[in-house]
Amino acid sequence: MTWRALTHRFVAVPLALLALVVAWNVYIAFNDHGVIEGEVRDGAGVPVAGATVIFFERNFVYYEEKQRATTDAQGVYRFTDMKAHVGQLEARTADGRKSERRQLRLWFRSQDTEVPPLVVEAPRA
Amino acid sequence: MPRPSRRPPGSPPHWPRHAIMIVVSFLMLIPFYWVVKTSLTGENIYAYPPRIVPVDPHLFNYVDVWYMIPFARYLLNSVIVTAMAIAGSLLFNVAAGYALTKHFPGRRWVVMLLLSCMLIPFQATIIPAYLITSWLGVLDTWLGVALPLLSTIICIFVFKASFEAVPPSLIDAARVDGLSEWRIVTRILLPLSKSAIATNVILTFIWSWNAFLWPLIAIRTPEMQTLPLGLARFLSVMEDTTGALYAFVVLVLIPGLAIFLMAQKEFIRGLTSGATKG
Repeated sequence: MTWRALTHRFVAVPLALLALVVAWNVYIAFNDHGVIEGEVRDGAGVPVAGATVIFFERNFVYYEEKQRATTDAQGVYRFTDMKAHVGQLEARTADGRKSERRQLRLWFRSQDTEVPPLVVEAPRA
Repeated sequence: MPRPSRRPPGSPPHWPRHAIMIVVSFLMLIPFYWVVKTSLTGENIYAYPPRIVPVDPHLFNYVDVWYMIPFARYLLNSVIVTAMAIAGSLLFNVAAGYALTKHFPGRRWVVMLLLSCMLIPFQATIIPAYLITSWLGVLDTWLGVALPLLSTIICIFVFKASFEAVPPSLIDAARVDGLSEWRIVTRILLPLSKSAIATNVILTFIWSWNAFLWPLIAIRTPEMQTLPLGLARFLSVMEDTTGALYAFVVLVLIPGLAIFLMAQKEFIRGLTSGATKG
């Protein structure tokens, strides 16, 4: 087979698609540890320690709780081995404050993701 | 120096015809555009007034489709069944078409029988087809799904017409040179019948890729389902499907579009020359 044959569209197009698929799968293989991490802050931007962050997984009809994590002294939480590609995150504190649910959509299942900070606020009366 | 016009002097200009064709092309592309747009936004297709430009487009509906149903498995099943149908139909249609170019007792009746069978819709023969497939023990297999398309009467006549257009002296010369019948077909007739081959491939691809009724009957296990069955299953298990449903439709369309764009020249030549050669 000569190099010229590789440029024929019947060969070049499938090869290009194959290369794309291989590259995408290699990227997935290095980034699918299921790590979802982020930070919880209050309205003033101060990290909140000890807050509970809940991951809600979408089933066919609604979102149900799947896993919980607690923030450390720096207000950072971390989920590991999270096998989901879509879900919601919500932070709650012991004194009743909570964040809005943050929609999380990933490009592939178990994608390692850093989530923008969740902001907890006191519930409105 | 101005380039000389290719238009003969006195003939009307081309641009009005081209302008009309461009407008018609856009009109024909609108449904495709709408499907792609809805797959990227998930917006309600009945929304009024309709939005021409997609708002906040994203590709996550495609990710949903990939994970909510075994799309890769459905795709593999469709590809294998279609490949088997194309390979089998080429083999059997070529053989049948070549046989019908020969003179043998009852040939006229065979042709009449085949032509009359074209009048019977597949739905009417689906029970015998099921029983035969069951008797062969290939229900719920790739071969069983491809079986009804392994030979199609239209394509037999396409090959017959194409083979009859080859000068008989060429075949006689090959026979004098000692070529067997099979080698006459593969070495002489098929290279001269590329348009018929293209027609066969296109038609079998379309029929097999879009087949719904026969796979619905012949397939029993979910992992053997093809893409059209997967689409029906997807609709039956999902709520709020608009975006993901249209993403599924686009994913089903992509392989066919890719093949058509790659082989556009051969396909169009095959269909048009088959139409005029008769």
